[in-house]
Amino acid sequence: MTELTKVVMRLDGVADAHRLDVYEANGGYSALRKALGEMKPQEVIDEVKASGLRGKGGAGFPAGLKWSFVPQDHPGPKYLACNADEGEPGTFKDRWIIENNPHEMIEGCIICAYAVGLSHIYVYCRGEFYEGKRKIEQAAKEAYAKGYLGENILGSGFSTHLTVHTGAGSYECGEETALLTSMEGGRGHPKIKPPFPASEGAWRKPTVINNVETLATVPAVITQGAQWHAGMGTEKSKGVKMVCVSGHVERPGIYEVEFGVPASGIINDLAGGVWKGRQLKGYFPGGSSTPVLPAEKADVLYDYESIAEAGSMLGSGALIAFDNETDVVRMAEVITRFYAWESCGKCTPCREGTRWMLQIYERILNGGGRMDDLELLLSICNNLEFKSFCPFGDAAVGVVRSTINLYRDEYEEYIREHKVYRRRFVPVKH
Amino acid sequence: MDHNDAPMATETQDEDHDGLISILERIQAKYNYLPQEALREVSEETGRSLVDIYGVATFYRAFSLKPRGKHLVSVCLGTACHVRGGPMIAEEFERQLGVCAGETTPDKEFTLETVNCLGACALGPIVTVDGRYFTKVGTAAVKKILKQAKEGLGKVEIGTDERVFPMEVNCPRCNHSLMDTDHLVDGHPSIRVTVSFGKMHGWLCLSSLYGSYNVTSEYPIPENTVAYFFCPHCHGELLGASDCPECGEPMVRMIVRGGGVVQICSRRGCKGHTLDVDGVNL
Ligand SMILES: Cc1cc2nc3c(=O)[nH]c(=O)nc-3n(C[C@H](O)[C@H](O)[C@H](O)COP(=O)(O)O)c2cc1C
Ligand code: SF4
Ligand code: FES
Repeated sequence: MTELTKVVMRLDGVADAHRLDVYEANGGYSALRKALGEMKPQEVIDEVKASGLRGKGGAGFPAGLKWSFVPQDHPGPKYLACNADEGEPGTFKDRWIIENNPHEMIEGCIICAYAVGLSHIYVYCRGEFYEGKRKIEQAAKEAYAKGYLGENILGSGFSTHLTVHTGAGSYECGEETALLTSMEGGRGHPKIKPPFPASEGAWRKPTVINNVETLATVPAVITQGAQWHAGMGTEKSKGVKMVCVSGHVERPGIYEVEFGVPASGIINDLAGGVWKGRQLKGYFPGGSSTPVLPAEKADVLYDYESIAEAGSMLGSGALIAFDNETDVVRMAEVITRFYAWESCGKCTPCREGTRWMLQIYERILNGGGRMDDLELLLSICNNLEFKSFCPFGDAAVGVVRSTINLYRDEYEEYIREHKVYRRRFVPVKH
Repeated sequence: MDHNDAPMATETQDEDHDGLISILERIQAKYNYLPQEALREVSEETGRSLVDIYGVATFYRAFSLKPRGKHLVSVCLGTACHVRGGPMIAEEFERQLGVCAGETTPDKEFTLETVNCLGACALGPIVTVDGRYFTKVGTAAVKKILKQAKEGLGKVEIGTDERVFPMEVNCPRCNHSLMDTDHLVDGHPSIRVTVSFGKMHGWLCLSSLYGSYNVTSEYPIPENTVAYFFCPHCHGELLGASDCPECGEPMVRMIVRGGGVVQICSRRGCKGHTLDVDGVNL
């Protein structure tokens, strides 16, 4: 039986947890007091490093290591960008945090700012999160009033400020360097790395970029210690993950589990299994940008290494399951359309490649596919992957290549029989 | 830079740049689109070239260079909503409104658009209207949603609207019932409290229907007055624990019988409220 391990979601079900008094009554801001009162900045970084905390935004990069890249002797301001631009289809964990427990994230941000010596925290909140933005602003106001933010925090002599920025509707702005250009007020185009944001980020100042969930885990790591955190999960994927389960399951929702539980356990024990008594056909282990895994691989353990070994990625932890009646060709088209729409247009392989793939999908679904279209799709994938300017291009090919490899017969059936997908709705690009 | 009350970054002038998206957001909120003259003005004021500003304005989905309707309907076609029937919902909206996605009705009432994932996949299919979420939308709900949007999402029709339901509340201090069965508001027993504002001190009966803002009171309370609310039994103040999410004034707190807490804003005319029933925040 797969069990929940609530860390970031420990206040799930507590009424009004978004309010400062409720959060404090449940031990909130004790981590900040501990960090400011008893620990040196370097000790905080060492603690987070030792805990094995990894980024939860997609890449799984060790958080403490990222923090230690920021040059300590850099003169002038340094920034923290908290990535709340959650836009990956199937992911809805950051939204839960900022709407239900924004103080946990803010406390994590302040601790990070203290550890690395950052003078300003920018929360880049997705534009569509109207409610979330309001909750963060309200929480920041409360934190300012209580002296957790602002000048000379809790008498420690350390000062940092917080500003909420909103996006204006662009998936690519979740990519860290595009997020910075967007914050600076430009089109959401990524920048070349190096220089890495840790040395030259927002307004060319050193900038740490972390996901909401990553930062919201930090207070627990500080209060309960690195050993406690490192004791959870697997050897390389330590700690817990909020898994967003959606698609054809009985009880879609967010389930926080230790790394290393079987994916089938999450689907069956926690999310109630596949809906309507049907069978699982396959699933996206980490969001629509990760390659599909077939039902036979449902037993793979849910951690970065095991999923990579199975041929996919853990990504942002969005598990989308689909049942045996799903038309995978159509599904792949929907996702390809998403990438074609959201491509930022900066580099040619991605801008042209995603659209080209979409056109081929439309042709296949309209009954005009050709047998060599499959090879064509795969070759576009090869020309996109690792050749695009930012990882968006790699994300766009995941579903195309994996579904062709796994469900080739369904593609061939469409083409051979000139099957036409009866379209109910053709979205217009605007 | 407006953002929250946080002090602004005090750093170099480089930082002034970040204002552009918020400037455009404000213009968009005011006119529902970005008029050309306004963009020219922004260019002059910020010193950034018009082509730069045009680039930003066309990149983000939230901005429109064409006038938009009074209400913005966004239907989610993200992966999770798609498999749960999002396209059918989008089609129904097209049929009801007589426009395609991306278009505005001739009477400038509605703009229909489709979006990719609104971050609430577990509750799909999702539709948002003017920033308010509708979850698990079926085709039958489309007509109702449009009707509600037209009438203003704040206004509700008692009796037919599912978002309106009666509740019974107690004082959070003495736990005495606040229900007044003799005094009906909206045809239901009302919630009786004592209010005080300026030199006035008297009773106030609130509608016990969640979603209705009807009241009757001993003395008329002028719009925008912030009043103090007391329990008529223990005379304790019904002070809420947080400020109003809409306007920042103090909230008034009451216990919902059967579990939960309801808070309403203490400012006359403000519709800010929160309801937590068993941890579910409505
Ligand atoms: C196309 C694309 C979209 C991304 N979107 C998000 C996002 O919405 N939220 C997020 O936290 N990270 C997103 N990322 C990952 C970020 O680039 C970055 O790795 C992450 O914010 C770092 O934080 P972490 O180390 O705490 O995970 C995205 C990456 C790519 C390539
Ligand atoms: S891969 Fe290229 S076009 Fe695609 S989002 Fe990244 S930079 Fe933009
Ligand atoms: S797919 Fe519709 S809310 Fe995520």
